[in-house]
Amino acid sequence: MESTEVLIDCQSVWKVFGDRSREAIRSIAERGLTKREILQQYNCVVGVSDATLQVRRGEIFCIMGLSGSGKSTLIRLLNRLIEPSLGTVTVKGRDLSRLDAAALRETRARHIGMVFQSVALLPQRTVLENAAFGLEVQGVPRDDRNRAAEAALAKVGLSDWKTRYPRELSGGMQQRVGLARALTADPEIILMDEPFSALDPLIRRQLQDEFRQLTKDLGKSAVFITHDLDEAIRIGDRIAIMKDGVIIQEGTAEQIVMNPADQYVADFVAGISRLHLVKAHSVMMPVDQWRFQAPGLSLDGLPRCSPEADIDELIGTITGSGSDAIAIADATGIVGVVTTRNLLLGVRGEPDARAAA
Amino acid sequence: MESFVSTFDTVVDDALFWLTDHAAFVFDGIRAVLEGLYDAVLWLLMLPPFWAVAIVAGLIGWRALSLGFGIGGAVALLACAAMGLWAETMQTLALVVAASVIALAISVPLGVLAGLMPRLDRALTPALDLIQTLPPYIYLLPAIALMGFGPATALVATVIVAMPPAIRLTSLGIRQTPHEFIELGHATGASSSQMFWKIRLPFAVPSIMAGINQSLMMAFGMVVIAGIVGSGGLGETIYGAIRTLDIATSINASIAIVVLTMLLDRLTQAAARRS
Repeated sequence: MESTEVLIDCQSVWKVFGDRSREAIRSIAERGLTKREILQQYNCVVGVSDATLQVRRGEIFCIMGLSGSGKSTLIRLLNRLIEPSLGTVTVKGRDLSRLDAAALRETRARHIGMVFQSVALLPQRTVLENAAFGLEVQGVPRDDRNRAAEAALAKVGLSDWKTRYPRELSGGMQQRVGLARALTADPEIILMDEPFSALDPLIRRQLQDEFRQLTKDLGKSAVFITHDLDEAIRIGDRIAIMKDGVIIQEGTAEQIVMNPADQYVADFVAGISRLHLVKAHSVMMPVDQWRFQAPGLSLDGLPRCSPEADIDELIGTITGSGSDAIAIADATGIVGVVTTRNLLLGVRGEPDARAAA
Repeated sequence: MESFVSTFDTVVDDALFWLTDHAAFVFDGIRAVLEGLYDAVLWLLMLPPFWAVAIVAGLIGWRALSLGFGIGGAVALLACAAMGLWAETMQTLALVVAASVIALAISVPLGVLAGLMPRLDRALTPALDLIQTLPPYIYLLPAIALMGFGPATALVATVIVAMPPAIRLTSLGIRQTPHEFIELGHATGASSSQMFWKIRLPFAVPSIMAGINQSLMMAFGMVVIAGIVGSGGLGETIYGAIRTLDIATSINASIAIVVLTMLLDRLTQAAARRS
């Protein structure tokens, strides 16, 4: 499903808010002023600072950050709800800042769906009319758009509710309608602005799993904003962590947990369970090193796992076999060994310091 | 200073005289249109017998609010007829309806424009403040100078007094669209006209309906005051009763006014709630 085709390409994008943002931007471009200097000299707030990211077809890209980190600003730059102060955002090869009003509306209507934290269902309209809103705006005839909306509602499991009004639905159901509305127009990209933050934990997990499944089944790409690292790990293929308007780290959940870029990220990932996150290839040691440590033992006697096996699976294998090491083998043969010591370090999310030294 | 004031007064008087001398045909035209509208509404109201009007009003009250309100409303209207004030009551209703139709035809679109254009809103606000702070019968004077005694003068003054609430509340309603829905419109690719008709206007409807209700109530108040300029209806009945110290008649007419006001207020409020 995943490919290397880049759907959203965001290059060195800045957003500066304030009355003197033009001057501030000029001095950023010419003199490289920092956020703090911008605030002191121009009384302007830097919402997003030099953000570069790429979203590929079929992937779910999570942007995780606390409130005020600039994540909501960043996602709005991706469909130009907010104009970037500097830098370019390219969607499907088209530079958004070069589009005129009509072309921008067209791009938003056909290619970029959006789901909001507040859901924003029109209270005067039924669930079906809400789900059909995007196509209505595009001028699609009523029968056609209702058919598409019914199909989208069926995908989120709300077929029985189409004649109801939003106020009759629970929060979780309302957000499903919000998702159905974004899916009805069949865009390649869906922007999710903290869609599940206001829901209670159980419903939230359920929607997270459903959303990931649905996005993958339909082959959509998504940018998903959240302040919850667990959610980002559950949903995201790749995760960017934002702080004070800056993307401080980007990578898979495993990369971030195993190699946090700084203390801020390290603190964040400290409480995250590694059991299903860390894979054998991140904790294994080279075969030669194992031979050196355990002379006389044969690789053939060890149980085997794939490099993609997670810690949970490795623990199961070790406790089940009585051996205290596992040979990690892919199609080409044995690529490494995981010992109980590697496993314990992996549970803590630490690479083997002794092996590195 | 004093000479300046008297000069100003003279200029205003002269301007008014000039208008009556040279632009009489304009005001005669306006007068003809206003009286035509008033006569048409009154003709419609007086066409059926009084009991039929009371029954229809009762049915509407029942459907819109409750059985109790329907029966009460019908009985109250019959009481107006019993007091011998049916024609006057219907004249007052016709004045209110005609004035409100004109006032709303101007003020709702104007309020929408003000809601979309903050500059227009800022420009209108002091004018509306002025209209609402001056004593309402002030508007009778220029009107009577230009259009003489009769319902047309009452209508002009009533329209002026009735417009501000509808303009203000319509503008407020248009401006108050929740931010997330504006964002939804943009993110969905809605054009500005779609943004207005599909998002801004539906959210403004309750506020616009409240404005219509308020305008109607202002019109009621003014129509009664306009009895002084020979508007006809209950206002003139009360004005006549005051001059002859006929307390009984003035109380009867007041009761009829209260009946009409209550009916229209509750019915328009019910309509506002439904939207």
